[in-house]
Amino acid sequence: MLTEVKNQLKVTGQSIRYALQREMLNKVTFVSNILFMILNNACFIIQWIILYSLKEDVGGYTFKQVILLWGLASFTYGISRFFFRDSFELSETINCGKLDNYLVQPKNVLIQCITSSVEVSALGDIIYGLIMITIFGLTIKNLLLFILCGICGGLVVASISVIISSLSFWFGRTEVIANTINSLMTNFATYPEGIFKGAIKILFYTILPLGITAYVPIQLISDFKLIYLIYIIIGTLLFITIAFLVFNRGLKKYSSSNLMNVRI
Amino acid sequence: MKKYLYIFKSELMTNLQYTFDILVGFVSYCIMIFIFLNLWKYIYSNPNEVIKGYTMNQMIWYVIVTEILWMSLGGRKLCKKICNDVRSGNITYNITKPYNYVEYSLFSHLGITTLKFVLITILGILLGLLFLGEFPHLTILGILGVILSCALATIINILIITTIGLVSFFIEDANPFFWLYSKLILVVGTIFPIEFFPQFLQPIAKYSPIYVVSYGPAKLFVDYSNEKLLEIIIIQVIYLGITWLIAHLIYKKGVKKLNVNGG
Repeated sequence: MLTEVKNQLKVTGQSIRYALQREMLNKVTFVSNILFMILNNACFIIQWIILYSLKEDVGGYTFKQVILLWGLASFTYGISRFFFRDSFELSETINCGKLDNYLVQPKNVLIQCITSSVEVSALGDIIYGLIMITIFGLTIKNLLLFILCGICGGLVVASISVIISSLSFWFGRTEVIANTINSLMTNFATYPEGIFKGAIKILFYTILPLGITAYVPIQLISDFKLIYLIYIIIGTLLFITIAFLVFNRGLKKYSSSNLMNVRI
Repeated sequence: MKKYLYIFKSELMTNLQYTFDILVGFVSYCIMIFIFLNLWKYIYSNPNEVIKGYTMNQMIWYVIVTEILWMSLGGRKLCKKICNDVRSGNITYNITKPYNYVEYSLFSHLGITTLKFVLITILGILLGLLFLGEFPHLTILGILGVILSCALATIINILIITTIGLVSFFIEDANPFFWLYSKLILVVGTIFPIEFFPQFLQPIAKYSPIYVVSYGPAKLFVDYSNEKLLEIIIIQVIYLGITWLIAHLIYKKGVKKLNVNGG
């Protein structure tokens, strides 16, 4: 079992490494994509400087906590788009019958399928996240918790995309719904929880698991409590399990389109 | 001109077939308005409070209008398409046809933008009335002025994004420039009116594209005056001329650098 996991991780690592090497062929584009993404994210600091000049706290968050929230949202987004980029294209992969390539390989179909390419600009998101945690307060504890929460968040975001995209096995095109849910999560995750009132908060801890990807991690890093950490880890494992279950169940209904293509 | 109107019409008709996809995409618009509604309700502790000359309702209507303009634009898609056309060499198919690529991009993209603009405007006004219960005081002339200003803002925006896309002639991927432009418009132009910025930044913002593509139409909608209308339209027309010239210049220079391998 452990050897199998080790082998899978090794193959996944190599797949990501080759995908990255492909993207690095044009060095200028590679570097400019990363730098511009960092600048792009940094623009939002202006928004918060202005908002905090109008009011001392926004949604119960201090300015530093908002910086942390943005850093975490960016890091989470970066992890999901860099390592699991193809989870956001899964619906098209299923609909166009492009899964054949992965079915003939002796490794897990889902993992191979969602890690076969990388989004270079997502490295900018990851670096921006690390800059933000440095501004918030760089300690070993903060950094480790930040990275752990970001990885968990990235896995949850990718899992949600897999769950919704896998519905394509039964219902055809579901990418519009998957894109909408992803954009919903990104938009909400960048605003303090305290500005929202009423039933919407129930959504944050259920259908849109912003509790796992954004709000509880902020509380965890600001004020460590073991229960928060357990909540994040169990929530992440739950979403990953559901993603595998739904995908594997759907895979039984998959039919090839006899599409001829080569995976380089 | 007739051929461009035909391109506009055919693009509009094509997109009418995909209205459902457009409507599903409007969920994002509703969410953004919902977020800003909550944000401004939190910032304005009292609904009658006036911050930098704006009441809470005016601020929310301002965001409704700027988001209509931005969301109906679909700038990312336009920039990506132009970048891909240039990088893949597909632009050669357009060069050989009896139209100019800049005008083709403008009118073709206006087709989808017009449809989205109409649908999002209906949605935005309904959301505004639902959440705020009142409509800004506007005369018929005012409404026409706002529509004209919105149309000019959209055309200028498309021309700016086309220019950014055409930069792909000189560097491989111009998309990162679009990210920066879009954030500039979103952060500086969509969320706050120029009055919210520090004094020293306000004159700079007034001469930037933000004033013509975002602030101008929204300001007219929430705080209309004939003088303001005239001022904004004049600046928009000047901007239209400048952006049109720059887009054509970049295209002309870029086409000379084009090198396509046949296949």
